[in-house]
Amino acid sequence: MTMTQILCAVRGGPESRETVTYAIDLALQTGARLTFFHALDAEFLNYATIGPLSVVYQELVEMGKFTMLILVDRAQRRGVAQVNYVVREGNIRKQLLQAAIETKAEVMVLGRPTRSPTQNVFKFNEMEGFAAELEKEGGLRLVLVPEMPT
Amino acid sequence: MKRYGKLLFVLLILAAWPWVLREDVQAEGADVQTQGTAVSISPLLTGYIRDAQAQPVLDAHVTAYAENTVLAEAVSQEDGRYTLLVTANTPTPTEITIHVERHHFQAADYVIKDSDLEHLQQSHLLQIPIITLERHITPGFWIATFVFMGMLALIALGKLHNTLAALLGASLIFAVSYLGTPLYDGLYIFHFEDALRYIDWNVIFLIMGMMIVIAVVERTGVFQWAAYMAYRLSGGRAWLLVVILMIVTGIASAFLDNVTTMLLMTPVTIRIALSLGINPLALLMPEVMASNVVGISTLVGTPTNILIGSYGGIGFNDFLTNLTPGVMLALVGLILYSLFVYRHDLRPAETGAGISEVLLQRLAERGRITEPDHLKKAGVVGAGMIVLFVWGERVHLLPSVTAVMGATTLLLWIKPDIEEMIEAVDWTTLVFFMTLFISVGAVQEVGLISYIASGIGRLVGTNLTLAMLAVIWLSAILSTMIANIPFTAAMLPVIGFLSGNIPGAESKVLFYCLSVGSAMGGNGSLIGASANMVTAGIAERAGSSITYMYFLRKGFPALVVTVTLATIWLFIHF
Repeated sequence: MTMTQILCAVRGGPESRETVTYAIDLALQTGARLTFFHALDAEFLNYATIGPLSVVYQELVEMGKFTMLILVDRAQRRGVAQVNYVVREGNIRKQLLQAAIETKAEVMVLGRPTRSPTQNVFKFNEMEGFAAELEKEGGLRLVLVPEMPT
Repeated sequence: MKRYGKLLFVLLILAAWPWVLREDVQAEGADVQTQGTAVSISPLLTGYIRDAQAQPVLDAHVTAYAENTVLAEAVSQEDGRYTLLVTANTPTPTEITIHVERHHFQAADYVIKDSDLEHLQQSHLLQIPIITLERHITPGFWIATFVFMGMLALIALGKLHNTLAALLGASLIFAVSYLGTPLYDGLYIFHFEDALRYIDWNVIFLIMGMMIVIAVVERTGVFQWAAYMAYRLSGGRAWLLVVILMIVTGIASAFLDNVTTMLLMTPVTIRIALSLGINPLALLMPEVMASNVVGISTLVGTPTNILIGSYGGIGFNDFLTNLTPGVMLALVGLILYSLFVYRHDLRPAETGAGISEVLLQRLAERGRITEPDHLKKAGVVGAGMIVLFVWGERVHLLPSVTAVMGATTLLLWIKPDIEEMIEAVDWTTLVFFMTLFISVGAVQEVGLISYIASGIGRLVGTNLTLAMLAVIWLSAILSTMIANIPFTAAMLPVIGFLSGNIPGAESKVLFYCLSVGSAMGGNGSLIGASANMVTAGIAERAGSSITYMYFLRKGFPALVVTVTLATIWLFIHF
């Protein structure tokens, strides 16, 4: 399979281990450029009685970037030649689609949603619709990687 | 003795002067008719109104009448006292009836006759025995109770923002009181003016002052620096890192609020954990649990302590001497527990899962103080505030005044963008507290709190040990299910009642028990404390989910360990 660009959307951390490993393996096999994608969703802060939103927001952005840099570091150590990352803010679905179009990715690697409603960015029953949307809007294929329990 | 009696009489007349004036205005026509037969000295009747729990009843309407003629009217004061100045000129009655009415209570009568009446006629002054009012359950009681429970449920389930839930509760109570009462009197709960009395402004201003100070401190980068220094000091030893982070978080939480502490510590902790190649939860869970435990070591460490301190008259010093050693004991227990529970997760770090130099540099860059000048000034003002918190009690300086003075001094000194600083005050939280006070006031007004208090009172009797255990463990368990701030606010009148009725409880030990239970109980479940929720929220966004069951598994045993140790301390100390 000829492939030039892979987009791997993860949160980072232990729960993304399998997805990241799959994306790195795929990039090594195909020689494609690998882009890690992280979306910042700070909506949960609205449900806390808190003050320092601006400072926290900066910290969350830095946390996202740092998490992605660790993945980039990991990919480079494993020999992926072309690897970078994107951190976006706002509606995750919309940002992910936009990043897919911008990077001209052929494949998007995502962690397979679990049945737990709180742990996933995408609901389990939404994935089929999202895959169709990706195919239609960006012409790319979606790969769902089952995560091992942490 | 007689001289003091006269003095008391004169004082009572002076105290009653406003009522005399008011009566003059209200009964102007009557005065004209009775001018020729006016009495030289008006008889004075005084007494107290109490509820079944011997608590003073405010705003009870007291009427003295004889043979269908109203002799005098008065309203009971905060201490339950009323003073009736009989100005109506009536022939010598055979008996005088004191009639007491108040919403949410059954009306009560006391009849003055025989020797008491003779005494009144001779001395023109009579102290009436305490009149006890029994509670009366109205539809308003059920509505206020339902609204309060609904508010707690909405907060606990996260269905509505805390402030919106409390605002909804207060609005419903007013809507029923104002719109429902004209249709049916039993729907009355309380009026706006009554509701305002329940708002503890000492709490509001203390929180507001501290928010301004925190807003300055959080922008200095001190949290990120402290976390990075913990990483450096640990030298890559994960167990040591956990211990240092727990202590750092604990100290920060003792002076700043737990939510702010965890909001700023969590992202940097996750970065450190990922750098070391260990599970971030192995650092975050001990951190947030330490925050919940150590936060109560000072008056300003948690909103619950601010509530307890203000209601119970417990100062900064009192918390330091009576609670801090117990909290330290609990922290030691928590550290040992955390090291044991996360012993497997902490191992990979020791095998050396490292990251590149570039990332380490980035970690170091983000771990530095960004505004050293502001930090220095905040440190000086903060130290001054602590001195005033400690010594100010001698001159009755309220903590809220100290906090506002400290915040103002800091703002004048660093001259920040004032708009930005005022925006940094979390007005949403302040509105939450104000409307929460109103909702709690409503259930207090209709008698729910009294029923709970008398229920617990019957359960524990006069046994202080039993009362301490009941308050600590009941509040700890309940705090795992419902938000601890509204819970504490609702429990305060209950604790006030128990403290006044159980021998030995006047030391305010039960207030400390409530502090321990409601704060350390927060470790029992994910929804037990706001700090848990924000930590979980951030961790989840970094791919380390803290589920309800995960928190329960790790947190509940920690609750048992820490609350047990704190209980031991309270029993030893009191």
